[in-house]
Amino acid sequence: MQQIIDFIFRKKDVVVYFILLLFSIILTLNSNYFHKSKIILLANNISNFTTERFILFYDFFDLKKTNKKLIAENLNLKNKLESLKNKPFIDSISNANFSYQDAKIISNNLSSFKNNLVINKGNKDGLKKEMGVISKNGVVGIITNTTKNYSYLMSILNIDSKINAKIKRTNHFGTLQWNGLNTSYIRLTDIPETANIKVGDSIVTGGMSLIFPENINIGVISKIDKFKNTSTNKKNKRSVEIDSRENYFDIEIKLHTDMNTLKHVYVIESLNKKEFIEIQKND
Amino acid sequence: MISIYFLILRRFIFLALLQGLLFNRFDLFGSFDPFIALVFILTFPIKINRVTFLIISFCFGFCLDLFTNSLGINAAACITAAFVRPYVLNFVFGSFYDPHGVKILKDYVSESTFYQQVLYLSTIVFIHHFTMFSLEAFSLDLTLLILYKTLINSILSLIFCVTLIYIMIENEK
Repeated sequence: MQQIIDFIFRKKDVVVYFILLLFSIILTLNSNYFHKSKIILLANNISNFTTERFILFYDFFDLKKTNKKLIAENLNLKNKLESLKNKPFIDSISNANFSYQDAKIISNNLSSFKNNLVINKGNKDGLKKEMGVISKNGVVGIITNTTKNYSYLMSILNIDSKINAKIKRTNHFGTLQWNGLNTSYIRLTDIPETANIKVGDSIVTGGMSLIFPENINIGVISKIDKFKNTSTNKKNKRSVEIDSRENYFDIEIKLHTDMNTLKHVYVIESLNKKEFIEIQKND
Repeated sequence: MISIYFLILRRFIFLALLQGLLFNRFDLFGSFDPFIALVFILTFPIKINRVTFLIISFCFGFCLDLFTNSLGINAAACITAAFVRPYVLNFVFGSFYDPHGVKILKDYVSESTFYQQVLYLSTIVFIHHFTMFSLEAFSLDLTLLILYKTLINSILSLIFCVTLIYIMIENEK
């Protein structure tokens, strides 16, 4: 016993190191749960508050660019309005399935494999988990966590994010995934080889879930590859199960949204979500 | 002794804010942020015992995590870097390294060769980045990607860290 205690005292830095390492790994693995604990909430709010004040500097230097973008968007919307005026009257209230809210990005990182964003609206403004967030040009991410004043998004540039998308021209559905390195490209998988697709086809959201409405821009196809057989797949070939992914395309997509310079975003709230969930429960 | 802790506190706040507010927004070549906060661990006074060093660097990493919303990843990487530092110092500087810390950082810079300095800095930066990225990805499928990202990001961090360290030393004189 004495020897064990002596050993621990001699190697106390090793012991402390492993305790702290274990603690931080537990924190990492349960970060969703710990984000709700009071101390971390307070600390997070302090860091968000500091960042929010600090980005005022950045905003100031970008005012000209932001103004130009807003004017361009206004023009686009006005043109759309003009074209709608000529169309026969449509009851827009009964058809509205989604409502939009604007928000501003506080922090945005692109350097890790699991990128997160923080926006300046939270529970207070009616934001909830699993709402979609888009920018002027396309999809940005999905809300994963909300506090009173802030919301955390999972960016589409996150190796865990899976977003349903389709090819606008042919209506083939697939799944969007990021490969973890290049921030302006993303991959679309699960498109069958029979699909007649070309480089330059545009990709839009699929509308299979109530997170994003249908036909929101994502990007254009920049490269088409066949699904590559990696060494792990070859091993599986011996078994009876056939690798079903062989007959699918692996498509590279250039994003419309420049995640680097993103500032203003829109949060989408689905108004029919309750109904949708109830129907799914009945199934 | 109190003045040393005061110096540490000053560096703690300065580097945490510098990393959190400024350097996390760099995004060089698309997706690489230089990790300048590592200067805190690289230039930590040797006089202070290892256990205190580990605990302080855990707090430091935790503060950095709050800015990136990735609880625990930076903390784990920082304590790993802090843990290996005495061994790396011993390996690189050999008999010149004294664990009781009579010599200060300036001596290490002025009395060692260029290769020793580069070896010391790059080893710790590499270990830190490797821990950080592997914990972040947390899967074996991405091993190649992790190594690639570690290598590029280490080189970038090294350039920025060396610059800041030399500025700090010039000011100390």
